Amino acid sequence: MVSRLEIRLKNELIDAEGAGIRQKSREYFGFEVDAIRVIRVLTLDIDLKPDQLEQIRNEIFTNPVTEESSYSPIAEGFDWLIWIGFRPGVRDTAGSTAGEAIKDLLGIDFKPDQAVYTSKLYEIRGQLSEEQVKKIAGDLLANDIVQQWKVFSVAEWDKDKGIGFPVTRVILDHEPEVSTISIQSDEELGRISLERNLALQNRDIPVIRRYFLREDILKERKMVGLDLPTDVELEYISQARSDHCNHNTFRGLFRYHDLLTGNRETVDNLFKSCIEAPTLKIKEEKDWVTSVLWDNAGVGRFDDDHYYVITGETHNSPSNMEAYGGSITGIVGIYRDPMGTGKGSKLILGMYGYCVGHREYEGELTPHLHPRRLLDGVIEGVRDGGNKSGIPTPYGLLFFDESYVGKCLVFVTALGIMPATIGHASSHKKTTSPGELIIMAGGRVGKDGIHGVTAASETYSEHTPAGHVQIGDPYTQKKMADFLVEARDEELITFITDNGGGGLSSSIGESARFSDGARVDLDKVPLKYEGLDQWEIWISESQERMTIAVKPEHLDRFMALSAKHAVESTVIGEYNDSGYLQLDYKGKTCAYIRMDLLESDFPQWEFDAQWTPPDMRGLTEPVISEPEDHGPLLKAILSRPNICARNWIARQYDHEVQGSSVVKPLVGKGRDMPTDAAVVRPVLGSNKGIAVSQTLNPSYSEIDTYHMTGATIDEAVRKTLAVGGDPNHLGGLDNFCWPTIEYHPANNPDGKYKAAQLVRANWALRDYCLSYGIPLLSGKDSMYIDGNLEGPYGERRKVSGPPTLMFTVSSVIEDITGCVTMDAKFPGDLVYVLGETRNELGASEYYQMMGAVGLNVPTVDVEALWPQYLALHGAIQAGLVSSCHAVSRGGLAVHLAMVAMGGELGMELLLHLIPGFSGLTVGQALYSESCGRFVITVAPEKKEVFEETFSGMKIGRAGVVTESTRFSVKDGLEKTIIDEDVNDLKHAWKKPFGDLI
Amino acid sequence: MEKAVRGFDMNAPNKMKPKAIVLTGYGLNCDYETDYSLKLAGAESYRVHINEVISGEMGDRRISLEDYHILVFGGGFSWADDHGAGVLMASKLRQHLGEQIELFVRDGKLVLGICNGFQCLVNLGLVPAFDFQYRERRVALTYNDSGNFIDTWVNLKINSGSPCVFTKGISTLELPVRHGEGKFYAAAEEIDRLFENGQVVLQYADENGQEANGQWPLNPNGSLKDIAGICDPTGRIFGLMPHPEGFNHYTNHPDWTRKKEALARQGKEIIPGEGKGIRIFRNAVEYIRTSF
Repeated sequence: MVSRLEIRLKNELIDAEGAGIRQKSREYFGFEVDAIRVIRVLTLDIDLKPDQLEQIRNEIFTNPVTEESSYSPIAEGFDWLIWIGFRPGVRDTAGSTAGEAIKDLLGIDFKPDQAVYTSKLYEIRGQLSEEQVKKIAGDLLANDIVQQWKVFSVAEWDKDKGIGFPVTRVILDHEPEVSTISIQSDEELGRISLERNLALQNRDIPVIRRYFLREDILKERKMVGLDLPTDVELEYISQARSDHCNHNTFRGLFRYHDLLTGNRETVDNLFKSCIEAPTLKIKEEKDWVTSVLWDNAGVGRFDDDHYYVITGETHNSPSNMEAYGGSITGIVGIYRDPMGTGKGSKLILGMYGYCVGHREYEGELTPHLHPRRLLDGVIEGVRDGGNKSGIPTPYGLLFFDESYVGKCLVFVTALGIMPATIGHASSHKKTTSPGELIIMAGGRVGKDGIHGVTAASETYSEHTPAGHVQIGDPYTQKKMADFLVEARDEELITFITDNGGGGLSSSIGESARFSDGARVDLDKVPLKYEGLDQWEIWISESQERMTIAVKPEHLDRFMALSAKHAVESTVIGEYNDSGYLQLDYKGKTCAYIRMDLLESDFPQWEFDAQWTPPDMRGLTEPVISEPEDHGPLLKAILSRPNICARNWIARQYDHEVQGSSVVKPLVGKGRDMPTDAAVVRPVLGSNKGIAVSQTLNPSYSEIDTYHMTGATIDEAVRKTLAVGGDPNHLGGLDNFCWPTIEYHPANNPDGKYKAAQLVRANWALRDYCLSYGIPLLSGKDSMYIDGNLEGPYGERRKVSGPPTLMFTVSSVIEDITGCVTMDAKFPGDLVYVLGETRNELGASEYYQMMGAVGLNVPTVDVEALWPQYLALHGAIQAGLVSSCHAVSRGGLAVHLAMVAMGGELGMELLLHLIPGFSGLTVGQALYSESCGRFVITVAPEKKEVFEETFSGMKIGRAGVVTESTRFSVKDGLEKTIIDEDVNDLKHAWKKPFGDLI
Repeated sequence: MEKAVRGFDMNAPNKMKPKAIVLTGYGLNCDYETDYSLKLAGAESYRVHINEVISGEMGDRRISLEDYHILVFGGGFSWADDHGAGVLMASKLRQHLGEQIELFVRDGKLVLGICNGFQCLVNLGLVPAFDFQYRERRVALTYNDSGNFIDTWVNLKINSGSPCVFTKGISTLELPVRHGEGKFYAAAEEIDRLFENGQVVLQYADENGQEANGQWPLNPNGSLKDIAGICDPTGRIFGLMPHPEGFNHYTNHPDWTRKKEALARQGKEIIPGEGKGIRIFRNAVEYIRTSF
């Protein structure tokens, strides 16, 4: 019998969740709701006796101090009711933990189809129309992709029946079967691929057909009972050959043509030439670089006993559809990469980056989710994913641009640490050997992430799983993470990797390359529900799973540890050296593929890349006269969305768990200024630390992606150095997000230009990594950041996001007690500007504010800057620096003000003393975004030593920190051009998002 | 993973070394730094999975609460905090370890609940345990008034009249809070009783040690009477929302770079070393040393 328990807070308690929804209803839609109170609903699809029901109600699910509950409907005194529940197959963690607790308390087991389901009821009080209530339900609370909802008016409400008994069990009613696929001609296979959504690439089809028609292959296949390729096999090949798994774009051939010079050049494989080659060269020079370019994450040396591990990726498309689910799946997913690097690492830090349309977007186009709702959702997803994983999230970025309404970007980055040796071997090494068992640990397999596109266009029924958008489950993963670290330390793991894109097909396919073969029993893979076809089991992307190789003699201990941690682990096959990947289902072979097939000659992707330099595109410098009111101008710039405070995000992320925090996301006297870089001390008994920073500057792409990349790398380097990072240990991470670069006359007419932008960005990546000595420890590319949005007249318009590179720099700091923060510390301290300011306002915040793009994009000359960076590092190490801050978007005026705001102190500055002032206008000096610059404050008694350190370099003592909170700037003629109170500046800077919590 | 902690006198031959257990598993997460803090304070500390305490087996060794002196319920998201923070963990522990824990308490040993651990203590009834009834839920930690998780440092006023053994000799303390459900709530008469008994140990305060009077963000969650931590009538069971293990090193403090500069101006250097949160653990270790 099904029962339904309803629980709510007692009336005298504030319902904070309800209050939050009320506030959002006002903010999003302008609705005035009197009150909202939430009722938690548990549908118990289990046979329980009345006394058992009472026992679980009282002992588990009702807090006698704060809550009341009943097995009958408890909603009352409302004007409207909204019910929201999950769709079938969507991860309901609270339902499963409720089940765990019930089993434990009552000492019972559930039958396979018994479960607990959670949902919520919202009591709405207020004068609202049905349409308004539906808007709150559909556009604020529920997302149709993962949830279902109903609205009840008072009249409709049956207070005896209530919402009924919602049971969202998945019932597929399908007998798994393997089908074979005809390969009579390329055309036929192409057609079947389209029909079945196999997503085989046309250029790959002949290679695939050739393989399956080979005499020797046919003969071998006959011996295992196979003839024509099966759907399992073709799905496998399709996954392995996808751009996501194989990086076909970056490994492609680019025919580059510069339209100005006429120069033509063939660029073969951006990955090899611009990422791999420079990184391997730097690895030769830097002995701290331990493992790069092959594993789930890069590995660098932290100290004699530890390695650190770093990687990052994006989770754009899913977040764009379901913001919360997409971003929590993203952050939880990236955490599995360090867990699956080497023999496995323990997570120590996470970071985020969000690129979205403006929060107040009021354009004509209708994105799937309004940017405001989308941003709220992704922030909350990463919050729950990070906080519930027990991993600090001390750093992140947020960038607004109108063109991200097409598709938002959600960057997630993770760092881990591992002992340098496990047993007697270096921990970064791993391999599989014949005879080792293949174990899948963690979550179960469902229809998640299979052919997202088809799933989205299927009609929903009450029991169709909504699997293509997932909701990450940090709880299941945290238990698994604890377990795996113990198993690693007991030397039970010989190989480990995560199940991400491509699921088992990718994790086993790749790990079997080491042993040169594997056999898997697909019927042994634990499923969330019955009825999955064999190919679905093989490629499902269900989350929270790792694939592990374990020697048979270690199996018992491995399984005992797994049980201790309440983690499900299952032997699903074994590695061998047969040269084949063999998949069986209930004793019958359904796939038999040579391991070397994927290394055979699949054709390279090819792109035309056509570069039109910015002046040929008609870009010029704008004509803007010198502003007369620089004070109000500064305040206006400080209030712009990409400059202003976004502290509400950092505050809801636990950035101190693990007790390792050294430099926090918000620093300064008021603990409210964003730090240049975060620093943690991951080994608690040691004073060594890791500094990390991230940057992105997509605005510069409008002029030249080469310089966008240079400026982005330089800024990340400077931010890391500003806190005390070591210039001789700079690790890099490149995350590319690019619009589609494949030319199509109708669908992508500017594809050739976008391809050239990608080539140029990669050239810069190569050049700047080589000159800064940055190995690319890891990186990912995410193409296709375009959306086709509905317009007001039934049309759809394509919106492409700007070419975006997020660059991460990590650095190991020998002694964290020498770290500095960006805030001015004492009145009387001298203010220095290091680095030259030039007429480089192209695509700057200032020009954007004036409605212009310009031409003079900031450029980076590493040879000139490097000695300054080394000197700065020396000065910080010698304790000469009181505060240090890298100048970035917004220019000097903004960043001098930030340093003053950080200390809640004033500054008196003379603009003509900054390096490079002569030849610039005041506006240019204040708002140029030239690279290579820092604002540094220094105690007066350290003046001589400090200045000596920088002798002959581009540095100017531009002023002094003052007790009075006036921020005053004079020009070369001693005329005061800015005189504002620092508190007013801070107020302007905080105002736009100041109310958000 | 950490190297052995050096630099304290725990190895002095004639000093007894209190043994501590930090619970792990099921989504708990502050175990490493809590274990580290206890070791810094001089305890022999172990991270032990909840299921190991329940089964009594740790690998091939037996483990029993009676061999230990300090039991720590640390921070985290046990059972994902679904159905109320600390609720399902309390249900599991009550079911399997209820009597063992009660014996542990009656033996005069120490129990510390931090954040999620405090939420669990409250749901178990180990605090406030009026009249030594250790199984009654009388107070609650519920959703922050702000409706969201918050990570911020708070100033705490410490009740010197409290019997709490963990806070002896400390009058104010700064610690981080990191929670979404930290609002202390109870009926008015229960709160009066807590004050009368001296069971209110910590209150959110301003920089000068004056009670926050509910003012956000000094009081970060809307706790009634600014209550941040309470103890049982014996003072040997202590639950608090702030994280003492989060201030295990002086560089954990948000102002440390500012303090370092300030000292440098006076020709002094910051004294490198442990954070002030360790004092809570030192008090526990001291208490066991003198009592056992």
